[in-house]
Amino acid sequence: MNPVGLSWAVALGGTVAAALAALAGPHRSRRVVVGVLTAISGAAGVAAGVGALTGSTFTVALPELLPLFGLRFHLDPLGGVFVAVTGGVTMAAAVYGIGYTRHGLDGRVAQAGVPVFVASMVLVPAAASVATFLVTWELMALTSLLLVLAEHRRRQQVAEAGLWYAVMTHLGLMAIMIGLVLLAAHAPDDGFAALRDAAGGLSPAMSATVFVTTLVGFSSKAGAVPLHAWLPRAHPEAPSHVSALMSAAMVSLGAYGIMRVGFDLLGGGPRWWWWLVLAIGVVSAVYGILQAAMSTDLKRMLGYSTTENMGLVLIGLGAGGMFAAAGQHVLAGLALAAALLHVINHAAFKTLLFLGAGSVLHATGTRDLDALGGLRDRMPATTALFGLGALGASALPPGNAFVSEWLLFQGLVHGLPNGGPGTYVVVPIAVAAVALTAGLAIATFVKAFGVGFLAKPRTDAAHRAVESPATMLVGMGLAGAVCAALALLPTRVVPALADAVAVTTPAVTRPAVEGDLTLRLVGVTGSLSPLLLTVTLLVAVVGTAAGVRLVATRRARRQARLWDCGAGPMSARMEYTATSFAEPLQRVFDDVIEPEQGVDVTHHRQSRYLVDTIVYRRRVPDRIERRLYQPVLALVRAWGVQGRRLANGSVHRYLGYGFCSIVVALVMLAVTWS
Amino acid sequence: MTDISVQLLYLACGAFLLTAVLVVWRRELAAIIRLFALQGVALSGIAAVLAVHERSLEHAVLAAGICALRAVILPQVVRRALPPTGPARETRPLVNVAASLLAVAVLALLAYVVAQPLVQLSPSPVTRAIPVGLTVVLIGFFVLVTRRRAASQVIGFLLIDNGVTAVALLTTAEIPLVVELGVSLDVLLAVLVLQLLAVRMRATFGSTELDELTELRD
Amino acid sequence: MSVIGGVAAAGLQVLAVGAGAPLLIGVMRQVRARLEGRVGAGVGQPWRDLRKLMRKEPLSPRGTSEVFRIAPLILVATTLIVAAVVPLVTTASPLDSVADLFAVVALLTLGAVALALAGIDTGTAFGGMGASREMTIVALVEPTLLLAVLAVSVRVGSTNLSQIVTSTLDDPARVISPVTVLAATALAVAIIAETGRLPVDNPSTHLELTMVHEAMVLEYAGPDLALVEWASAMRLTVFLGLFAGLFAPWGIATSGSLAALAVALVVFMIKVAVLGVALAAGEVFLAKLRLFRVPELLAGSFVFALLAVVASFFLA
Repeated sequence: MNPVGLSWAVALGGTVAAALAALAGPHRSRRVVVGVLTAISGAAGVAAGVGALTGSTFTVALPELLPLFGLRFHLDPLGGVFVAVTGGVTMAAAVYGIGYTRHGLDGRVAQAGVPVFVASMVLVPAAASVATFLVTWELMALTSLLLVLAEHRRRQQVAEAGLWYAVMTHLGLMAIMIGLVLLAAHAPDDGFAALRDAAGGLSPAMSATVFVTTLVGFSSKAGAVPLHAWLPRAHPEAPSHVSALMSAAMVSLGAYGIMRVGFDLLGGGPRWWWWLVLAIGVVSAVYGILQAAMSTDLKRMLGYSTTENMGLVLIGLGAGGMFAAAGQHVLAGLALAAALLHVINHAAFKTLLFLGAGSVLHATGTRDLDALGGLRDRMPATTALFGLGALGASALPPGNAFVSEWLLFQGLVHGLPNGGPGTYVVVPIAVAAVALTAGLAIATFVKAFGVGFLAKPRTDAAHRAVESPATMLVGMGLAGAVCAALALLPTRVVPALADAVAVTTPAVTRPAVEGDLTLRLVGVTGSLSPLLLTVTLLVAVVGTAAGVRLVATRRARRQARLWDCGAGPMSARMEYTATSFAEPLQRVFDDVIEPEQGVDVTHHRQSRYLVDTIVYRRRVPDRIERRLYQPVLALVRAWGVQGRRLANGSVHRYLGYGFCSIVVALVMLAVTWS
Repeated sequence: MTDISVQLLYLACGAFLLTAVLVVWRRELAAIIRLFALQGVALSGIAAVLAVHERSLEHAVLAAGICALRAVILPQVVRRALPPTGPARETRPLVNVAASLLAVAVLALLAYVVAQPLVQLSPSPVTRAIPVGLTVVLIGFFVLVTRRRAASQVIGFLLIDNGVTAVALLTTAEIPLVVELGVSLDVLLAVLVLQLLAVRMRATFGSTELDELTELRD
Repeated sequence: MSVIGGVAAAGLQVLAVGAGAPLLIGVMRQVRARLEGRVGAGVGQPWRDLRKLMRKEPLSPRGTSEVFRIAPLILVATTLIVAAVVPLVTTASPLDSVADLFAVVALLTLGAVALALAGIDTGTAFGGMGASREMTIVALVEPTLLLAVLAVSVRVGSTNLSQIVTSTLDDPARVISPVTVLAATALAVAIIAETGRLPVDNPSTHLELTMVHEAMVLEYAGPDLALVEWASAMRLTVFLGLFAGLFAPWGIATSGSLAALAVALVVFMIKVAVLGVALAAGEVFLAKLRLFRVPELLAGSFVFALLAVVASFFLA
């Protein structure tokens, strides 16, 4: 067995051992053992993924494990990227979970669920037949559902979130199943190799149906609009390390699915497929970040930010597919490399952000930004790490998402003149969407970091916060280190993605980007050096500070009073809250967001001219949910009410239904046979 | 197949069908349970004749198992669902006895017509008895639908299972022991559950009239 | 051009921007004053103000943290790097392959973000208000900026700044094409929004509720305020220099000779001064827009940028 296979097997074995330890082990050491074993399997996953990425693939077939089909696995470079991402996220989340699950989450099932979830996410990218893929996908869905519901005794919104998640993920599974089974029906067996060969002989209508149904399922898993409604419900209610796993590793598998089916199995397809993917990406990115900008719940905001980032990945995939369909393989390689790099970057900073949000929740008991503040004095390490994640998420240099957005932008810019017909409409829209998204992301994360961590605490809960325990800080530190490494040394990562890109578009032979300190585009002109840029920035900061020290006065710094218009020291109520910070943006985008406001005035008992209390309520609902989901749900409910008439409680009637249907069937049989 | 074994087979099948018809006719629950036990004996008789004809030990074991389960164990379990005191009479069924017997006749005809293609597949004295099994299935279903008391409905369910076993025995003549074991265990489990439910119902409602369950509808 | 020469040229750019930015502000204020019928404080007043502030006592408002103290440094640092990268005087900066137009825009935004965080860190309502408004404007200006970048770089085939400049130098007729005019208009509005000039923001207002940039820096005093003021002046100079470099690059030195550099420096100062005077003169006739009218203005500039991109394809 080659090293890749060995590491992959170690990863799986580690998760099985962790699950067994959780179910059967003693209570006291459960958290630590499970956390350590899961972290080890995460490290093995990273090794397996990196090994697969650098060229050594791994295949195994287990025909007896599943009746009728058997299981088949094949880890190629594309799958390797996602296995490595899962492994990295697992390492940080598992170590973090040791400290986080101390209170209330160290039951057997809650602890055992995490390793099994990780195992399923390591299995999905390696699946090499339809049956294997569907089984591992469903395993992933079920274990994540179990983990989302882990805290259902503490809060009642958890049950509702779990219901939404269960229904939507299974509808997605059905769509994927329909698509893949349609494809497999045209092939001699259900292995991916056979599907690849059979796809060439499909009619355009059939391959379009396969692509669109699988796109529906995979884009729902990735949290793309309009099938995103589960994401901002499920991610806040899950425990924070599980949110990190779901948001960073699981939603990326939606993008994996699109790449695998659209590029690898179906072989590319016509242009309009990729315009569809691009359109979904554009809408998801803009809508996601808009809702995130309006949100005052820290984890809900991060959930919507995941929708936005997956939208950016879909824009990259759509652009890549578009260029590949037009024969521009260099540009296609560039756009796809940008999409893959953004998946990796997003996993890194989203893990860090969710773990940081979990620390805040753990310390203060609330996720509401309007109730936080002043955490930088009480939780300095968490603040610094969250700031690093926020820098990454807002795509500013020297953050890590800046590099992938630069690559995406370069792909779009160079694709405009020669990307094929229709690009002169599609590319400017995509560029405008990416730019608007970047701007809104900056506003969102300035709001999150500034309102949540800086200034003064707004409530007692924030006032009494203490720094997180060491294991949580170590977990966050791991994620932060990865973010920093990706920000400064993307030259180590991006050229290695060439093999993964080559799986999807075999015509791409050279890596899209090369260089050691500077990212240099191949085939087109463009270069960027994040490392040198950061170094120059640091030198400039230090130089300026030194210059100020030289030129300015030597007097010591004194504390002074804030400007309060002479009215006396200000309370924490005077600070800007997250709601007020986002208010100008909300006014600008009022037609899209349509917030609901309500004012209840209770008058004094004795006089209608005096006011006792005024209650102001403002909610920003999800407009797409309103417009799209409510009618569907109302229809289903009406259908159910009609169906209720059939069930009046009499057991005899129910039995009668069965009996009559059998007799009718037999009569029909008798009539047709004689 | 020798003449005498064919006659014995037809005798067992006749007894099998007769007991099913009598279940529809009789009203007392204790009598119905006794008839069900007799039907179990008839079914094991069918299996025993086939075992002698095939000269297979497996079939003999099967026959013994069927006898033990369906003639002894299951009637005991169902008897426990009856009320402890008083004559256990069936209250007025949904369809009165005369109409039920007419319905049974129609069902027998239907079963005969439907089973013809099965018989044509491989005509032999054994397969000619298949319509009997199918009739018992339909009769069992009919009893299940039209009886008000839980115990008689359970008997109807068990009649269905007996009929299915009979059809299986007569068509293939080689049910693997494993399959029969699995099916029997399922049936046992179902009956245990139903018995439990009947006891609970009696405790809650004072009787096991299933129509009272409509009170639970919201 | 040798590396040493490149470094020297980049250093020259930084010096020119650093020293000349307060002078540019002084010129603009003087022009405004004269047009409004006042005598004005003189062209060197901003330098005198900086000198005064440097000598004052450094203050830290109670309750603020390192974020508040570091933000002016980051603002100055990012502006200095951009001054070294953008081909203001020469195209041979050593940082040319390190950052391109996209990175320059992102660096300038980083400076604005640092200041916004400092505004929130004060914990006052004014700081939050200024940060919130500034972030809204930044968010809405990004599409215009990047589309204008796209329009400019599509013709050239690269977002690399020195390449854009050299390609415009090689093909002067391109400057009067509709693409360039539309992109220039869009970029001009974006620059006004980013640097906080009228009609988006009034840099000399005293009413807190009308402030955007000034509200964020309300709590700064002494050397910190000097850094912030200097950085704002440099940002304006760099933006105007970028505008001149993209649309009127004649005079920028492409060879390493000292004479070319000297000529380029003088030409750069003249171009930036002309643009600054035009801006100041225009400000005299404009009033500040309400904050919720600003998105309309930015949407208009976005449409211009979009038309520039579309035209660049059709008229290619």
